[in-house]
Parts: sequence; C-alpha cells; structure tokens
Amino acid sequence: MAEYNPKLVCFSCKFGWDYLSEEPGRASRIANWIPVVCSGKIDTSHILKAFRSGADGVLILGCSEGHCHYQDGNIQTKKKVLLLRKVLETFGIEPQRVEMKFSLDPEGKGIPALITKMGKNLIKLGPIKRL
Amino acid sequence: MWKSIHQGLAGVEPAVKQFLPPCQMQCPINEDIQRTNILISLLPDDLELARDGIIQIGDYLFEKNPLFTVCGYVCGLCELECNYQAKGGAIRRRLLKRFISDTYTVYLNQKEEFNLIKQKENVAVVGGGPGGLMCAFDLSKRGYRVTLFEASDRLGGALWLIPRYRLPEKVLTSAIDNLVRIAGIDVKYNANVGEGKLTLEKLRNEGYKAVFIAKGTPAPRTLTFGREKVEDQSLSGIMYGTTFLYEVSHGEIRPNYFVGKKVLVIGGGNVAFDVARSARRLGGETTIICLECEDKKSKDHIPADWEEIRGAWEEGIHILYSRGVSKILGESGRIQKIECPRCTSVFDETGFNPQFDLSDTIPVEGDIVIITVGQGADRAALQAEDLLDEKGALVVDPVTLQSLKKEWIFLGGDLRRIGFMADAQKDGLIAAESIERYLRGLSLKEISPRLYEAQDIPRRSHYLTEPEVLWIPPEKRMHFQIFERGFTLPEAIDEAKRCLSCGPCISCKACLSIGIQESLPTVEVNKDRCCGCGICVSVCNYDAAQLKDVEIRRISFTDTFKCKSCGMCVVACPSEARKLVGDNMENRINAVYASL
Repeated sequence: MAEYNPKLVCFSCKFGWDYLSEEPGRASRIANWIPVVCSGKIDTSHILKAFRSGADGVLILGCSEGHCHYQDGNIQTKKKVLLLRKVLETFGIEPQRVEMKFSLDPEGKGIPALITKMGKNLIKLGPIKRL
Repeated sequence: MWKSIHQGLAGVEPAVKQFLPPCQMQCPINEDIQRTNILISLLPDDLELARDGIIQIGDYLFEKNPLFTVCGYVCGLCELECNYQAKGGAIRRRLLKRFISDTYTVYLNQKEEFNLIKQKENVAVVGGGPGGLMCAFDLSKRGYRVTLFEASDRLGGALWLIPRYRLPEKVLTSAIDNLVRIAGIDVKYNANVGEGKLTLEKLRNEGYKAVFIAKGTPAPRTLTFGREKVEDQSLSGIMYGTTFLYEVSHGEIRPNYFVGKKVLVIGGGNVAFDVARSARRLGGETTIICLECEDKKSKDHIPADWEEIRGAWEEGIHILYSRGVSKILGESGRIQKIECPRCTSVFDETGFNPQFDLSDTIPVEGDIVIITVGQGADRAALQAEDLLDEKGALVVDPVTLQSLKKEWIFLGGDLRRIGFMADAQKDGLIAAESIERYLRGLSLKEISPRLYEAQDIPRRSHYLTEPEVLWIPPEKRMHFQIFERGFTLPEAIDEAKRCLSCGPCISCKACLSIGIQESLPTVEVNKDRCCGCGICVSVCNYDAAQLKDVEIRRISFTDTFKCKSCGMCVVACPSEARKLVGDNMENRINAVYASL
C-alpha cells in the first residue's frame, strides 16, 4: 500500500498569527494554508466543502480569548465547530478531523509544527470514510 | 517584519456628521487614537525589532500633532471618554503615547526637516505656547512663511509651568526645538508684541498679511472675598502660583527652600495641586485650601483631577476643603496667618458666586501663601490694540477665531478660553485654516463646527481589566524626577491589544497599512433573499446589522459607518442573503480546494 499522505486545510486568523512573518510569501508556499482576517469569518459550509473537495482534516487557528479584533469571532468559531463536530460524527466523520487552536503567534513560527502534529493524527485515522 | 505602508492612511474626512471612536472625538485635535493603538498592538515584542515600527507610528503622529511626545506625559483627555471605562477601565492611551514618545524623543533630533516650499504670504504668530506652535507648524506645512514672536527667551509658554515630575525637561525641549527646526519656523525671542514699539500695526507694515495671537494668560488673578480684593496680598511670603511654578522650572528656587516652613496653597484646580506638590518637594509642610468640597458628585466639587488629589494625599499634603480666605494677617511686613470662613456654596445659577458662613471661621497659620486661583490675559495690551469690547471682553468669532474688529487678526489659546494644552493646539489648527481661507480669499462662513457622533462600545464576551499604573512610592518621590513608571514594550502591546477599536474602519485603516487587509470590503444584503429573521443583528457586535420595515416586509440592512466587515453576519445568515463585496477570501478558498 502506498504511503498515506493526508491533506490538511489550515485557516489562520491574521490578527493573531503570522502578521510579523519575515516571509510575506509563505502563505502561498505552505500547502493549503488560508489566512483569514478573522476566524469568525469561516463558515461551516467552508469546512464541509473542504471535506467534499477531498481534504482529510481542517485546522483553525484563532486568536486567544479576549483578544479578537472583531470582539468575539473566536468564540463564534468555537461554538460553530463544537456543533459541527457532532454533526460530522453522525455522518461517520471523526470529530478530530476539525481541530481548533486559540493562541497568539505573531511570527507564525508554530504553524508548521501544528500542521505536522495534526497530520500525524490524521494518519492514525486513515483516509476519510465516505458514506 | 512590522511594516506600515502609507497607502492606507486614515483621515477624518470632512463630513457634516460622522461617527468616530469616542476617544478621537474627545481629543481636541482628533488624533487617530484607534489607528495608532492597533499599530502598537501589532508591534514585535523585541525592542530592537520594534524600533522601526515605533518610529513609523511616531512619524505618523508627528504629522498631525508635533507635540505628541509631550501629550504622552500630560494629557490623557481621550481616556475620559473611553468606552472601556464602564467595563474594566479606560485604555491607558496617554501611557501608550508616552511609550512611543520615549523612543521618538531620542530619534527626533535626527529627524529630517520637512521639504517645504514656502511661497505663500508672511504670517506672524504671536506667542510660542502650544497654540502658537501648532498654528505656526500647520501654516508652514501649508507653504506660508511664518515668523513666531515670543515674549520670553524660550518657546513653550505655559508648558513650562508643568512640574518636571510630570514632564521631563528633555522631552519638552526636544519637542519644541525640533518642531521649529523641522517645520522651518523663524522665531524672534524677547519680542513682546503689543509692548513698546512692536505693535500689530508695525507687523502689518513689515509685510505680515495675517497675525495669530495666542499670548496666553500671564496675569495671575488676585484673591477676592465677596466682591472685594483681599487686603495685604503684597506682604512678604505671599506669591502667585504661576510665578512660583515659573521660577521652579527656571531653577530659580533652590532645593529644600521650604524646609521647616508652613506653605498654604489657595485654590483647588490642577495648577494649585502642581504648586502644592512642587512646594512639598521643596520641603514645605503644605496645606491646600479650596472653596470646593471633596465630594466629586456635588455641584461644588473640587475641579482638580482625582489622580492629582490622590498624588497630593499620598505625598502628605493636607487639603482643607470648603474654606475661603477672608483676611490675610501679617506682622512687620510678613505673612503670619489667614482667616478661613467655611464656604457653604460655590456655584449658583449665576455661576461662580461663593457664599460663606462667617460664624465658622478658623485661623490657619503659615509662613508662605501661594495664591493659585486662576490667571487672566494681559488685558491692557489687548485693549491698546483695540481687540476688546467696552466690557473688556475679547471680540472674536468662536468658530473661525477671526477678530471681529480687525479681519487680519486671529485669536486663540488660553487667551480666548483657558483650557488644556490640546485645546490651545486645536485653536492653533483652526486659526491656521481660517488664515489660509482669509488669505486665499475664500469665505470663512463655510467653516462650521463638525458634528461627530460617538460610536458605542462593541459587545463582547470578555472584557479585560486595566493594567495597574505604577507610581514610585511617596517616600521615594520627593524630588523632581518623573514618578510614574511608563510601559515596557510587552506592556504597551498588551494594553494596545485591549483597545476595542470602537470607531469605524474609515477613520482607522490600520489593517490596510499593515497589510492584514487589502481593502475594506462592504457587506451587501440581497433584499429578495433576506427573510428578516434578525440572526445577523444578534451576531453583529457593532450594531451595524439592523432591521427595517420596507413596505410590508421586514428586512435587514448594514450601517456602513458602523460595519467592520468582519463577515460574521455573512456566516450567520441562514438564507445566504449577505455577502462581502471586495473580499478575496472565497477566491483563495476555492483555489486551495481546487488543488486538493
């Protein structure tokens, strides 16, 4: 069997992550990374569409509690994702395929490590089981 | 790397009515407070790496307010209106600005002069205080050849009366010297316009086409009781507050001058507290005597700021509330004691009209009495130049600051109305605009006071509490060094992050300058799809999404002034009636998904 290489889509909040990055072009070089202005802007339909398009997991990086530039975007995301996980479960998609991390990382140095870590979890889960 | 590009410059755009964050509205010169707060919040937390960013923020502030390095120590008017006050404490904007000031003051000496082409008329500015400096700076930037006439041998005016423990001398001198250098303003010292041969008419004959007069209030007000002046104010040991502060700042009073002496300070304003705290630092056993009462909620409350009162109290200054001075008693030419009747009421419907209970009069002994009950303009000089009416009041248009007696004269600053430093600066800016209109032959009638509406506090789940402001303990601050500790870089970033950015994006645009956003998208509502459910209203933290009745239907719309284009309503809308126009997130998502 060929080595399984999971596809991970990563959304990150621009006000909390990577705004001081030395490499402005990094966003286009890291695979499947979508910086957004606020994590609250990510719709559940965006996440579902990712799975439908072939992603094995979605990682959402938001800013830490109390630090959202748009007041409560991170809290909205948390609410949305917690509910979405329940829905995904009923369709046979493991809830761990949608992860969230709320923190501040101006240089974005931690992003590759977070992607690798979640990638390892996805390898354990194996390819998504389609119904 | 922190970078700010100039394409996203914010501006308070001229509009009859517009929304602003309450701090910016409160600031007399409408500084872009929210914008610079956000820029500070995005600085790297290493001082070496942040230096460039700090200087860029400073440059931005300097363009609009060349005295901002001073404001960072002494102003803080914006904090009084901060929306956060009710939810955990106002954003410490003054300390944030002081933080920028501490790096920028050092840099200012190397800042290059503006490259200005000055081909417009000669304009004279009389008085080198904050009002005059601001007017001269603004007119220079507009291309006028400005000459500043200063009566003394140094610029700064009343800023020199601010005690050193609040404003370090090097911050003030650096701000003033560099302002004049960078804007290329010609200064004439020891030139008291209105005195001797140096009249306004002479300036006119020398080719100055317009004059802005901001000579301040050099004359101390004398002590009165009832309608009468209190006798014996010339006894030895009696002095006036502003004179005292002037001498202290000039180093004319030696340290420990008041040791072993009882100093009585008459007055309850901030200047009286500056005087008392300076006298205390010179070793005096100091008492403040004021007409007003302690209760800040009363109509007769003490006018000084709470922080001043707290500072004075910590430093061991005794405050005698609700007492006037009816008599000064001396012996062989020296002050010995004063008699203080109880003041029962300070203000009535006619304004300041103190009433006393003479049956309750106490004597207070003192070696020194410093009278600090206000100050006034040099009326005689203004009268001689025919700028006053029969009653001795200044005849000036309050909107344009143009004299109603001589159209080429403009008046402002404390001279017109005693206020804070920033109030004088505002007058300077208004006068500059009026002078330009006057000299370009444009109508001054078109200048109308702008109406701003303050934006409400955004809703959020977590409000953060304010940081503690650290003062050196009282026993260690009996000197004229600064006693308030400033922010470190990480503290400044944390505090700036606390800013709720209440104001509309159009007045800020920090995200554009720093490259987080490429443009400001707008929310569009498809009226046919909107079912009027109101979910967008509940999810919007800025009250931008609202419902309205159109004919028989109820639909939602977005108030573009209040909208921050965060997109939360778009995500929440169950009928996909809302979308962001000018936003490329969807394209990016589609491109990524297509490559999966």
